[in-house]
Amino acid sequence: MDPSPRLSNAPYPADPAVLEEVCAAGPGDLATAFAFALSRAPKAVRPVVLLAAPRAWLAEHGRPYGRGLPGVDLILAATTTGAEGLWTMEQALRSGAVTVALGAIEEASLAQTQRLGFAAREGGAVGMLLRFRSGGLSAARRRWRIMPAPSATEPADARAPGAGRLWAELVRSRSERPGVWMLEQDDETHRLRLVDRLAGDGLDAIGRTALAA
Amino acid sequence: MPLALIRKTVRGAVIHALNPAARTAGLRRGQTQADALAMVPALACRSADLEADRRALEGLALWAERWSPAVSVSASDDGLEGLCLDMTGAAHLFGGSAALPNRIGTRLAEAGITARVVVAPTIGAAWALARYGDPERRTLSVDDDSLRDSLAGLPVEALRIGADVVAEARRFGLKRIGDLYPMPRAGLARRFRDGDGIDLVRRLDQALGLSVEALVPVRAAPRYRVWEAHAEPLTEMGGIAARLPGLAADLAAALERDGQGARALTLSGFRTDGTVSGLSVRMGRPDRDPVVWLRLFRERGLERIDPGFGIDALMLSADVTEPVTDRQTEMEAQVVDDRVAALAPLIDRLSARLGEGRVLRPEPVDSWIPERAERLCPALGHVPSMPGPGDERRRPVLLLDPPEPIEALAELPDGAPARFTWRRVSRRVRRADGPERLSPEWWRPRPDDRQVRTRDYYCVEDDGGRRYWLFREGLYGREYAGHDDDRAPSWWMHGMFA
Repeated sequence: MDPSPRLSNAPYPADPAVLEEVCAAGPGDLATAFAFALSRAPKAVRPVVLLAAPRAWLAEHGRPYGRGLPGVDLILAATTTGAEGLWTMEQALRSGAVTVALGAIEEASLAQTQRLGFAAREGGAVGMLLRFRSGGLSAARRRWRIMPAPSATEPADARAPGAGRLWAELVRSRSERPGVWMLEQDDETHRLRLVDRLAGDGLDAIGRTALAA
Repeated sequence: MPLALIRKTVRGAVIHALNPAARTAGLRRGQTQADALAMVPALACRSADLEADRRALEGLALWAERWSPAVSVSASDDGLEGLCLDMTGAAHLFGGSAALPNRIGTRLAEAGITARVVVAPTIGAAWALARYGDPERRTLSVDDDSLRDSLAGLPVEALRIGADVVAEARRFGLKRIGDLYPMPRAGLARRFRDGDGIDLVRRLDQALGLSVEALVPVRAAPRYRVWEAHAEPLTEMGGIAARLPGLAADLAAALERDGQGARALTLSGFRTDGTVSGLSVRMGRPDRDPVVWLRLFRERGLERIDPGFGIDALMLSADVTEPVTDRQTEMEAQVVDDRVAALAPLIDRLSARLGEGRVLRPEPVDSWIPERAERLCPALGHVPSMPGPGDERRRPVLLLDPPEPIEALAELPDGAPARFTWRRVSRRVRRADGPERLSPEWWRPRPDDRQVRTRDYYCVEDDGGRRYWLFREGLYGREYAGHDDDRAPSWWMHGMFA
């Protein structure tokens, strides 16, 4: 992705598929990818989120911090093997108890991702695979590549970071054409919303109704 | 008159047992019948009745209860069957452990039974010496001091290990138990291990009394338990799995009658060698649904129960019980209740498989030091508090705990950093917000007894748009005056924003 990618004119696909893949563009971009994956959760009164991640992953990238994730009921499963991670995610998806199950799972075969897809459909939940490497066969219906973007201007203080922004590139999808959207953290709702285009760029205002998540 | 009992095996008909005359003629147990007849044409052959042998041994076990209330049958089809009596605290009733073997041997001889009787400090040693000890000595008493030396001369088979492990050990020249004493333990444990994961070292330790074999937990007997004794010991996992549903249904019925649900269950397999192999599962909410229990046991891994030489009784006990009241859903929000109802069994199952310490939930703690303000505690049995409103101040989504030291350059000593190096990558700060000053919790001393210092937190953004949470520990001036013994303020990376 070049530094300022060309944004897509198509509406942002806000409704999550049963299983999606979220790839961080680099190791430093994981927090952004994690927040994006969380934002893909279907709207719920009190979302229950399960994160299955290897212990090494948690030590390297940090642990989810509840104070920075308001309104999310988080369950953290620290796994040791990839098989444990897949099993945990499958159980969580099938149980109907969680809104979204995130799995930091780098290695998964096509059949394994298919199982996750079936489990998610059965439990009415959404599965998100958080990984770095994109590529390989997968049953995920969408594959995203996430990269942080310079934040919005802070009205009160121009030197301070404003609302966090990111580029979400849809690399592969079964139902839409690939494209790039810019999303922004909403400080009020703690969700991501689509950033408005600048006025007068000759394009229709798009995505105003399609709030991200 | 030489006589042999013949048993059918995959190798064909072999000698299962033989009388002294046949032994004198040079025959031995395990020899094929054809071979034996070639050597001793006059050999009388009868087919062995293993079932009758087993019944006789069980009868003998009941009979042996005169010496100890804990008697078990070590069944075996290769002629190594025996009885195991737990004489702990009972030997003095029969003239002490030195006189005990003679007394038992005499009584057995009177009953027309040829037996070898060994008293030893461990199950493993008694087992080994009774079967592989000096054939001329009918009775033997070994105490702690002579244990090591008595075992040293025995063949490695005496350690109750699989034939493949024995063959492997012999291939390395380890023929006697004494050969194992000087060997490095780690290597032995790694190399010699049978399919059940019972390795040579564990058996050796059990025989020498270095590891405890029969662990009987000191606890009150559970109020709710169901038993099933098996005439034929279960040696296969499938047999145990097949009997579990019946036990679970019986236990559930008992709990139902009293309006109770189980929070913890234990399945105990009473092994014929006098030990108990058990498996426990725990639940976040009291439950009495056998289907749920069975699933938890399966996920915990029924194969963790080691049947050893067979399990002759299974017990399912509810170790912790709580009253179950029918839930009043009208009063609560149905949606949340449904999800909580589904969440508890999920947490039970994840905890059963992964371990209770690995399925966690953040719990807010009253502290303003960020890493202390939220603790991860086991989700099992944890009543989830409603998630708080979050912090009105900006907090990262991922927290590094503990914080990592970074190198930072600031334009002003007490200002925001202009550059910093974290994990060997240098980053330029494009925008920064702060400081947010967090005073030290001076009433909690640091483990290294150094002064706890103020933290100034900054939210910074680098060129690539990545946002970090950094802090400087220590204030210039008030906490650092530049003296030689002062620690200069230092910079730390504590978390990442979305």
